[in-house]
Amino acid sequence: MNGEIQDDWLDRKLQEAAPYIEDDGFTARVLRQLPAPARRVEFLRPLILVGMSALASALTYVLSDGGRFVLVEMFRLTAIPTVWVVVFALASGMLIMAGGIFVAMYKANQIQS
Amino acid sequence: MELTDADLIARVLVDDDQHAFGELVRRHQSSVRGLLRQLTRGDVALADDLAQDAFVRSYKNIRNFRGEAKFSTWLYRIAYNCFREDARKRKELVGINEEQWQAEQDPQTVDPGLRHDLMHALSLLPLHERSAVLLCCQNGLSHDEASRVLEIPLGTVKTNVLRGREKLKKTLAAWAQ
Repeated sequence: MNGEIQDDWLDRKLQEAAPYIEDDGFTARVLRQLPAPARRVEFLRPLILVGMSALASALTYVLSDGGRFVLVEMFRLTAIPTVWVVVFALASGMLIMAGGIFVAMYKANQIQS
Repeated sequence: MELTDADLIARVLVDDDQHAFGELVRRHQSSVRGLLRQLTRGDVALADDLAQDAFVRSYKNIRNFRGEAKFSTWLYRIAYNCFREDARKRKELVGINEEQWQAEQDPQTVDPGLRHDLMHALSLLPLHERSAVLLCCQNGLSHDEASRVLEIPLGTVKTNVLRGREKLKKTLAAWAQ
């Protein structure tokens, strides 16, 4: 060492002077001191969602004069030419398929990365 | 496959999974307790109390861990804050308990005489230099990580490490022969 202490030597000796400390019940003592886990209200979220949906449906029904607009639109739909119905159905199908493919590709990329 | 720290933290965050947190404690207890033992100059009981406090605090504040630094760095910071608060209360009246200190060390790895001198030299360093040397030289943190733990500027950490090292070298000069 040429009579002079090197940084590496000092660091190594410092690291060697700090051996692994056995757990000896330390983790158990820590776990005993932790606050009790918060009680998870698992049913609350679906309950809120269903409740809000029911409320929204009821409101729509009342405000739209008993859903009369649905009947009106249904009658209007029956008047559309068959060709348009077919074109509309095809276009919707292709749009949904394209969306599905896009999401699948995005997820695959995410998993790979 | 062993779960990473990030996986375990996610379990604690999502499911409040205390077993996952227990695994984190098991992984890091040795380094955190070791650091605190050195900071408290070998007061094992005090160091373990502080370590326990640090882990409990880390559990309560785990939502504040943003993953910008390593989990161990974040833990060291909490542990160091616990030590600082306690030292402030005690006004650094922590005595050197060298007998107990020596008994705790592994006699196989380092010459007992050298270890004694090394620990004594470390305990003589002022707190700011001792903390910087312990974190950077013993626990392998980068200067940047140590500056986050100690909440002091990067340049100050570098200076403290340099000065601490020089003092240790001077005190241990006889071992260089």
